[in-house]
Amino acid sequence: MNAAITRILAIARKEFIHLARDWRTLVAVLVLPAVQLLLFAYAISYDVRNVPTLIVDQDLTPASRAYIAKYEASDLYDVRGRVANIEAVRESFERGAARIAVVVPPGFARSLARGDKAQVAVLVDGSEPNSALVGSTFSRALNEGYGQRIQAQWADARGIDLERFGRIEPRIRTWYNPERRSADFLIPGLLVVIIMIVTTQQSAVTLVRERDQGTEEQMRVSPLRRTELMVGKLLPWTLLAFADMVAIVALSTAVFDVPLRGDVSFLAASILVFVFCSLGIGLIISAIAPSMESANIAALMISFLPGFMLSGFAFPLDSIPTVLQWASYLFPGRYMMAISRGVFLKGAGFAELSDQLGYLVVYAVAAITLSSVISARRQR
Amino acid sequence: MGQAATVGDAATPRERVSSAPSSDMAISVRGLTKRFGTFTAVDAIDFDVRRGEVFGFLGPNGAGKTTAIRMLTGTIAPTAGSALVLGDDVIAKPEKVKRRIGYMSQKFALFEDMTVDENLRFYAGVYDVSGAEFAARRRYILRMADLEGREDELTANLSVGWKQRLALGAATIHEPELLFLDEPTSGVDPVARRHFWDLLYDLADDGVTLFVTTHYMDEANHCHRLGFMYAGRLIAQGSPTEVRAAYAPDGATAGTLPSIEDVFVHLVTAHRDRQEDGA
Ligand SMILES: Nc1ncnc2c1ncn2[C@@H]1O[C@H](COP(=O)(O)OP(=O)(O)OP(=O)(O)O)[C@@H](O)[C@H]1O
Ligand SMILES: [Mg+2]
Repeated sequence: MNAAITRILAIARKEFIHLARDWRTLVAVLVLPAVQLLLFAYAISYDVRNVPTLIVDQDLTPASRAYIAKYEASDLYDVRGRVANIEAVRESFERGAARIAVVVPPGFARSLARGDKAQVAVLVDGSEPNSALVGSTFSRALNEGYGQRIQAQWADARGIDLERFGRIEPRIRTWYNPERRSADFLIPGLLVVIIMIVTTQQSAVTLVRERDQGTEEQMRVSPLRRTELMVGKLLPWTLLAFADMVAIVALSTAVFDVPLRGDVSFLAASILVFVFCSLGIGLIISAIAPSMESANIAALMISFLPGFMLSGFAFPLDSIPTVLQWASYLFPGRYMMAISRGVFLKGAGFAELSDQLGYLVVYAVAAITLSSVISARRQR
Repeated sequence: MGQAATVGDAATPRERVSSAPSSDMAISVRGLTKRFGTFTAVDAIDFDVRRGEVFGFLGPNGAGKTTAIRMLTGTIAPTAGSALVLGDDVIAKPEKVKRRIGYMSQKFALFEDMTVDENLRFYAGVYDVSGAEFAARRRYILRMADLEGREDELTANLSVGWKQRLALGAATIHEPELLFLDEPTSGVDPVARRHFWDLLYDLADDGVTLFVTTHYMDEANHCHRLGFMYAGRLIAQGSPTEVRAAYAPDGATAGTLPSIEDVFVHLVTAHRDRQEDGA
C-alpha cells in the first residue's frame, strides 16, 4: 500500500515537472481564463454605460422615489426624464430617445412594506441589439439595491399591450438573471467550458506522448498499476482545475459582481467529478488516437464544440435541434453547466442539484472505465 | 542448400530442452505463443536462460523478438504456453516478477523535459527505492553513466551515448536480477557501443542475467548463448561457437568457422526458401 502511494506520488511529481517545463500549456491553463474573462468584461461594460432611460413612476411614494434614485445615481443609466404612461415610452423608443424604461407600478411601496416581492417592469427597446446586455446590467443594479425582494418582469417593447399595464404578458424572466446572455449567465458557464477544454486536451495527449516516447511501455514493465498511473496523472490536473476555478470565481465575483449565492463546497465537489469526466474523455481519446496530432484534434473537436454548443453555454439547450439535444446528453458539459449556474445564480446546492451531480458521477466512472478497457484491449 | 534440411534437427545446436519448465533458470519458456488475430507473431517457442547468463536473442525484423520480451515482462498475455521468470509464473502473477526485473528499450524511455536527476528519481519512485538506497544507487549510476556534475541537465540536451547509459541506469535503479534489453544499442556510435557493453559485462559480473536483442553481430559474439528467431519460431540456439560450428562446411577448423553473421544469413535464407517451397 505504501509502495502504491510512493508510485502515485512519483507520477504526480513527474506530471508537475512536465507542466512546469511546458510554459505554453501553463499559460493556456492559468492565464487564458483570465484573459477571456477580461475581454468578455470589456465587451459588456463598453456598451452599457449611460443607457438612455425613462422612468414611469405610477406609485409615487417615497419608496418608489428611493428606488428610482438608484437609477439616477448610477452611471450605467442616463435618466432622461419621467413620463406619465407607457404610450409615451413607445414614442420615445420610436424616436430613439430612450432604450429602456423602468415602470414602477402602483402598489410597489405596499408590497415592500408587506415583505412581498415587489413587481417592477422594465421595458426594453427590442430593436436594439444590445438590449440584452442592458437588461443584464439592469438586473444587477436592481439586485444590489433591493436584494431578493424585487421581482423584475420585463418585456419587449414591441409586444406590449400599451393600454393597460396590468394586462401585459411580459416574457417574465426569473429575478436573478433576466436575460440569458448576461455576464451573470455566461461567466459560470465559462468556468465549465474552460475546465472542460483544458483537462480533456491535456489528458488526451499525455498518454499518447508516453506511448510515443516509450515511457508507457517502460511503466508497464514496472510494478506501477494502471489505476495508479491514472490517479497520479489526475492529481495535478485536478489541482490545476481548482486553481482555474478559484481564479474564475474570484475574478467574476470581485471584478464583475457575478453573484455566488449557493453552496461553494458543493460547487467544488462537482467540479472535482467534472474534471474526472473530462479527463476520462481525454483518456478515451488517447487510448484510441494513433498519434499526438490526431489526439490533439480529436480532443479539440470533442471538448471545444460540444463545450460551447452542447452544454447550454452559447445557446439554451431547448433552442437547439432535437438531434443535438440528444447529443448533448453524451457530454458532461450540460450537467456541470446546470450545477454551475444553479450554484452561482440560484443559490442552489446539493438538494436541488444532486441529480446532476449523480449523472456526472456515473459519467466519470463510465468514461474512466471505458478508457482503461479500450487501452487494455489495445495491448492484447 | 543441402544444409537447409538439417536446420532445426537434433544434429543442429537446437538444444534439447526438457519438457518441464525449470524454476532454477532465470527464464524457462515452454510452448510460448502469441497470436494477433490470425497472425502468429511468436510460435510455440521453448528455451531456458540460466542465471547469470548473457543471452543474445537474434532474428530479422518482425521475427517476434520484441513480442516475446513483452510476454516475458508481463506486459502482454500470451495466447498459449508457459513462462517462468526468476522461478515465478509471469503469466499468472506478473506483479510477483516485476519488482525483480528491468527493461530497457531502443527508445530509452526517458523524459526529455526532465533532468538527469529527475528521471532517476522518477524511476526510483516507481520501483519504491527508499531514500538511502536511492542516494547510493544514484551516485553509482551517475558515475557509471559518466554523468557526474550533469545531474541538473535536461535529458533532451544529452547526446545519444549518454542518454543510453542514463536509460540503463534508470532501468537498473532497483537492482534487478534479470534485465531485458531490446536493441539497446541501435543508433549509437561504435565507441559508445563498446562502452555500453563494458557496462553490461559489469552487470553480468555482478550476477545479473541479461537478455539482449540486437542486430549487431559483433554484439552477438559477446553473448554466452544465442537464440535465433525467424517468423515467430526459435530455429537455433547455442553458444556462439556451437552455432558457428554447426553451420561450418565439412572439414572446417576452429580458424575457418563461419561468422555469426554468415550463420544468421544462412539460417534466414534457408528458412525462407523452405517456407516458399512448402507454400
Ligand atoms: N500489437 C500487435 N498487433 C498486431 N501485430 C503485431 C503487434 N505487435 C507486433 N505485431 C507483429 O508481430 C510481428 C513480430 O513483431 P516484433 O516486434 O515482435 O518483431 P521483432 O523481432 O521485435 O522485430 P524488430 O527486429 O523489427 O524489432 C511483426 O510482424 C509485427 O507486425
Ligand atoms: Mg523489436
